[in-house]
Amino acid sequence: MFLQQLINGLSIGSIYGLASVGYALIYSILGFSNFAHGEMTMVGAFSGFFAMTAGGLPFPIALLVGVFGSALAAVCMERFAYRPLRMRNAPSLYFFIAAMGVSVVLMNAAVVLLSATFRTFPPILPVKTVGIGNLSIGVIDLVVFGVSAIAVTILEFVLAFTKMGKAIRAAAYDSVTASMMGISMDKVCFMVFVMAGTLAGLAGVFRGLKYTVHANMGNIILKAWVCSIIGGIGSVQGALLGALMVGVLETFIAGFGFSNLRDVIAFALLIGMLYFRPSGLLGKTTEEKA
Amino acid sequence: MARGLSMALLVCMVLTLVAGCGGSKGDIIIGHFTPMSGDTAAWGQMEIKGVQLAEAEINAAGGLLGRKVKIITYDDRGDKVEAVNVVKKLISEKAVAIVGEQTSSASMAAGPIVAAAKVPAVATTSTNPRVTVGDDGKLNPYYFRVCFIDPFQGRALAFYSMKKLNKSKAAILYDIGEDYAVGLTEAFKQNFTEMGGKVVAIETFKGGEEDFRAQLTRIKQANPEVIFMPIYYKEAALAMKQARELGITAVFLGGDGFESPTLTEMGGPAAEGCIFASHYSSEDTAPLLRKFIDNFKKKFNEDPDNNSALAYDAVLVIADAIKRAGKDDPQAIRDAIESTKSLQVVTGVITIDKATHNPLDKTVVIDIVKNGKITFLERLDLSQVK
Repeated sequence: MFLQQLINGLSIGSIYGLASVGYALIYSILGFSNFAHGEMTMVGAFSGFFAMTAGGLPFPIALLVGVFGSALAAVCMERFAYRPLRMRNAPSLYFFIAAMGVSVVLMNAAVVLLSATFRTFPPILPVKTVGIGNLSIGVIDLVVFGVSAIAVTILEFVLAFTKMGKAIRAAAYDSVTASMMGISMDKVCFMVFVMAGTLAGLAGVFRGLKYTVHANMGNIILKAWVCSIIGGIGSVQGALLGALMVGVLETFIAGFGFSNLRDVIAFALLIGMLYFRPSGLLGKTTEEKA
Repeated sequence: MARGLSMALLVCMVLTLVAGCGGSKGDIIIGHFTPMSGDTAAWGQMEIKGVQLAEAEINAAGGLLGRKVKIITYDDRGDKVEAVNVVKKLISEKAVAIVGEQTSSASMAAGPIVAAAKVPAVATTSTNPRVTVGDDGKLNPYYFRVCFIDPFQGRALAFYSMKKLNKSKAAILYDIGEDYAVGLTEAFKQNFTEMGGKVVAIETFKGGEEDFRAQLTRIKQANPEVIFMPIYYKEAALAMKQARELGITAVFLGGDGFESPTLTEMGGPAAEGCIFASHYSSEDTAPLLRKFIDNFKKKFNEDPDNNSALAYDAVLVIADAIKRAGKDDPQAIRDAIESTKSLQVVTGVITIDKATHNPLDKTVVIDIVKNGKITFLERLDLSQVK
């Protein structure tokens, strides 16, 4: 029972993780939480869904289409909502408000254009479980966990070893100095949104696959934001750690029969963290973040 | 000249007055509130079609009191607060009676509003007893319903599990934020235990959640024969999928919240064999129901469901009351609804009980999912499940 709940928790946490890393990346560069991140996952989920059902594409291709869809959404968000603000050196509060606006617009546009019905991915991965003794692990969960791990490893690699990664880290450390050194902030922002969008696309398609695809599915991704704050605002590893922690914690709370307290405890943890350790578990306020 | 001008002014004033009166002698407005978005939107869409069909048929037959009927529908997103807002809006737009809501929570939120405005409302599928009669036993004089109530539904389902399926070990999974789920859980638990069954696990969640594996893992430990889920179709389908993934083999049992094509689409093979209560069956042969189904298919090119049938019935009850009242005064309509007797509607015959505002003599239909299709099993009335 303990192990089973741990597996359940990790599987929830791994999807939170894909989304919370996106929050962390954008925060590290632009200093605001992109509340429209949940809608990015929604766009990804719908792109993947329609690629499979209307386009008749096999799942791996549909996953790529989903990733492309949400990366495109992310780039558009950056170009049309956030770049104008950045050009005017607007305070970060403006970004927060713009993000909320984008979120509401996208969600309601989806309701109007695609209706509020629930859609289900065609069953590509059979409802199968790998049983080890008394434990059962969903095949989908294994795939999700594997792909998430690979994606995050690639991200870490890009950040650590490529020229672009170095530029992003420099910009996260100090964007003014970085741009004086010839780093194009436009390019950095573009790349960061592409990365966040890519991970959001994975999160969206996987969420859609495991649960359902619908216009309001972005809402639940707010939990991923909580994870990124708990893990450390703007820290990629912190966001991952926070996500796995919150996923497991939630499952255990429900597993002990207090499921109605699930959100209360997650948000209490958030408040407690902000109070006692405002920079989160792995957040370092002044050092490099991305 | 001055006299001529004042005459002209007078004529204008009189004309304006007449025109103003003409407004109230125009269409008879019936309000309707339902979710067009959100978790229960699929039902809302079906309700709208039921209401539209009723409106078209009434107007084709000459309308009411020689006037046309106009039904205005507003979206409450399945949200209690929004329900209050749109009901206020409907009342301000001079609705003489209101159809809705489908969920008990939203109907209960609208209850005090319609009572204060003295406009009658007829709920479609709100099965919680408290929609019409509060906890203190006081009747809301302005709320009515056309569906059965949860104590009966819970009893029928407990009876079905114990006597027909011979399964006496049950677990319950329900949404603690939904009045419907809480009420039906109570009704089922009480009846099931009375009949000698045992409830081995009760697990809860909160609306909006999509992952129930933590709760289901606990249910699995308790090893029940049936899992009773008095919840809505989306959550039910997800829970059934996750339960099968965890290797749970128990039979799934649900209330009228299961009835939707989404249940089978989303649930897939996991929904196969699940059994639930419903308000009507499309396999029923009653002539009025057949006519309703045919006309519905002709107009919308799809099959009606519980919600379209009950929304249609709610309009019929209001239309019948307006005819008997002979005027479009909300108070007179309320009195007429209260004395509704033996009115033929598509889900049966409606006689409103003056003490509770619930329809008497309702039956529960038991359905099963077979080969991905919702299939009729049997019809139970109150005397059968005693």
